[in-house]
Formats: sequence, structure tokens, C-alpha cells
Amino acid sequence: MADAPTHDQVLDAKGLLCPMPIVKLAKFMREMTPAQVVLLEATDPGAIPDVAAWSRNTKNPVIHQETEGKVMRFWIQKA
Amino acid sequence: MSSIVYVHSGGVNNPERSATPIYLATTAAAMDVEVGIYFTVNGPTLLKKGVAETLIVPKYDGHGAPLRRFIDQALDMGVKFYVCQPSLDLHGLTRDDLIDEVQMIGGAAFNDMCLEADAVISF
Repeated sequence: MADAPTHDQVLDAKGLLCPMPIVKLAKFMREMTPAQVVLLEATDPGAIPDVAAWSRNTKNPVIHQETEGKVMRFWIQKA
Repeated sequence: MSSIVYVHSGGVNNPERSATPIYLATTAAAMDVEVGIYFTVNGPTLLKKGVAETLIVPKYDGHGAPLRRFIDQALDMGVKFYVCQPSLDLHGLTRDDLIDEVQMIGGAAFNDMCLEADAVISF
């Protein structure tokens, strides 16, 4: 697996259930500047398809992701 | 920008049906989709002032949350709320009985909104 890229901010969405990880992510990204990277941590079982769908629609790319047990981590770059 | 119209016909007598369209609309707004919820049939009863604060969206474990929390999340994300007069008349409601954030539209405006939308989802 490729090494995780560096990130500028961390958004802890562990324990939050649909739709809150995506809602929090959207609000968080609005405050970031283009090219910054947020590391999102989530445990919602639907997080992988949800983050992918959100990314595709908002054009903010997921540049790396990892799963460790129940925790999914996404490195998302602000477009 | 993509757009979705949700049609919400559930009311206070079906709390388990009250929140799902609102969750989904909130999620759509988070995806940068332009989104409105059209509350019709029994839907406007959810928007009567004071109702959503005490209407608990049930959960199996008994720890449900008040509907108002989900309404506030939706409004905060930019979801628009619409009603039309006949569904208010059905319940003896007037515009002034409803929370301030609701916009009144008519059937023509609703149909136009649906024709312009990328998806219309009915509950």
C-alpha cells in the first residue's frame, strides 16, 4: 500500500452515523482552501461508498484511503 | 448544478416516516446538489410551530431525537422547504402556523420545479 499523504487537518467522524459524516465533511471542506488535504476518519458502515459518491459529485478528490478494523480513513483534497 | 426534489407526504401520525426524506435532502445538499422538500398531504403537520420540538423520531433502542434537530440540519445545509395551500387547508393550518423557513408555492410552481430537477423522489 502506498504511504499516506500528508494532511492539513483531521476531521474525526468516528461514531457518527449517516448522514452526519458527509454533512460534517461538506461543512468542513467549505472552510478549507483549495489544495489543502483533510484526513477524515469514520466508522459508519456506509462510509466508503458515501465518501466516493460525495467526492464524485463535489469534485473534491479522495487521494488515498485506508481501512484499519472498523475505522476508515480518507485523505481528501479540496478542489 | 444538479437538483433533486423530495416529496414528503408523511405527517405527525407516522413519526417513523418523518425524518428520512429530511436526512436524504440534507445529504444531497452536502453533495452540492440544489435540493427542496415539498411537504404535501400530511407533510405540513410536521412544520407546525412547536411540533418538531416534541416529535421524537423513534429508534429501536428508545433513544430517538426530536425531528427539529433534523430540520435544523437541513436548513443549515441550504435545503429549501415548500408547502402549498390545499395541504394546509386539509389540516386547518395557515402559513402563520408554520415555521418561518417554509416557502409557499402552488401546483404549477411545484410541477415546474420537478420538470427542471434531475430527480424527484417521493415519500
